[in-house]
Amino acid sequence: MEYLDSLTGFRLDGRRPNDMRQIRGEIGVVAKADGSALFEMGNTKVIAAVYGPREVQNKSQQINNQALVRCEYSMANFSTGDRARRPKGDRRSTEISLVIRQTMEACILTHLMPRSQIDIFVQVLQADGGTRSACINAATLALADAGVPMCDIVTSCSAGYLSSTPLLDLNYIEDSAGGPDVTVGILAKMDKVTLLQVYFRSGLDS
Amino acid sequence: KRHRPLRRSSICFASLLCSYAINPQETLTSEMNAETSDAPPTSLVDRTVVPGDTVLDLTAMANQTIKLGAGLRQDCDTISVMKAGKLRLSKPNKYWVESSHKRYVPCVEDTVLGIVVDCKPDNFLVDIKAPTLAFLPVLAFEGGTRRNIPKFEIGTLLYVRVVKANNSMNPELSCMDETGKAAEFGQLKDGYMFETSTGLSRMLLSSPTCPVLEALGKKLSYEIAVGLNGRVWANASSPSTVILVSNAIMNSESLSGLQQKIMVEKLMQRLQ
Repeated sequence: MEYLDSLTGFRLDGRRPNDMRQIRGEIGVVAKADGSALFEMGNTKVIAAVYGPREVQNKSQQINNQALVRCEYSMANFSTGDRARRPKGDRRSTEISLVIRQTMEACILTHLMPRSQIDIFVQVLQADGGTRSACINAATLALADAGVPMCDIVTSCSAGYLSSTPLLDLNYIEDSAGGPDVTVGILAKMDKVTLLQVYFRSGLDS
Repeated sequence: KRHRPLRRSSICFASLLCSYAINPQETLTSEMNAETSDAPPTSLVDRTVVPGDTVLDLTAMANQTIKLGAGLRQDCDTISVMKAGKLRLSKPNKYWVESSHKRYVPCVEDTVLGIVVDCKPDNFLVDIKAPTLAFLPVLAFEGGTRRNIPKFEIGTLLYVRVVKANNSMNPELSCMDETGKAAEFGQLKDGYMFETSTGLSRMLLSSPTCPVLEALGKKLSYEIAVGLNGRVWANASSPSTVILVSNAIMNSESLSGLQQKIMVEKLMQRLQ
């Protein structure tokens, strides 16, 4: 399948290799949460809600000199093409939850809120590739909306390599094409990388 | 790519008051100051800032004392923003970020509305929308002795004052003012409590009187207690008045003075 048209240089959805999809962000979307954000990257829509800083619910996990950051990632049943029931604790969700938690923990100033807990809940409403990046962007906006002290804003995007060309911001078709894909999370002003993940499946003979 | 040159060990305080005396900058190259994406520091005042924005570059200000308020932190040579909001400057040298959130950061001498969560032998545990529960000592009442400890049930609404607020300990409250008098602190009976943001609470407590409260006061008789933690309690003689006052206050956060007056009049017409 041709992911990059050789004549015009356009991708399947009409973008150039270096073009991102259109992004849109909105904060304050969940009334009950202390901070919330809805982030869209093209067709990928993600909603993030932040609760905290508040009392630690499980005293055994309390950290005496900094805040405890917890993150939960889930995909809605209706988020992909086939409506499929996803179990809560499956491997991919746990891995992405851990990745988002570590990324956000790098930018939250946890030492200012000892013995408290910050909960970040991210849910994918519509998945079209780049859900990890959209989740991190949404979580950053939700944390800023909640007034959690942060040292910088985390921005994230994914990229891949198909038809011998690096492509920015893959959608679902390009993501499942079998090439490598890298997700990067960067602290915007400080210019530091907090997340770098490369995923590639390769056969023994390729 | 920028590369950070070696710095001499300089004194870095993470506290509210910072004074920074700078030696001549032979060791710093011009790359440090060439932040093309940052606006010059003074023009960020009264503008919206997000975490990570550099507000002041201390290398350009020698021998000056700067006071940092909420939302700002010192990162070696620069003052950067921790919380999103509007940057404010109070001449000559006090900077802070004004933001409005649903959670409250406890600060000494703030008056807040708390809800009793538990009763211990020595103090009441009170929820004030802060990262940790606050303690209200059982003796912190006017004329309080071991014999006349007030009996507060779980869920009681109290108007209290923050006495100690340290991020490594639970905040401590009191139902007395500095001189030891009760001064309106204590349990709030009847009425209706609703939760708003900290920004709206500050606006309600500002002087001169907030337009929405003035407009309501011209026609109605009511009483309110505003907590800086985003909780407001309203009471009046009839339930419809209480509802009208609460709705008027909840609607008024993003409105200008004139819009608030018009909104109050529309609500009052419905009452007639």
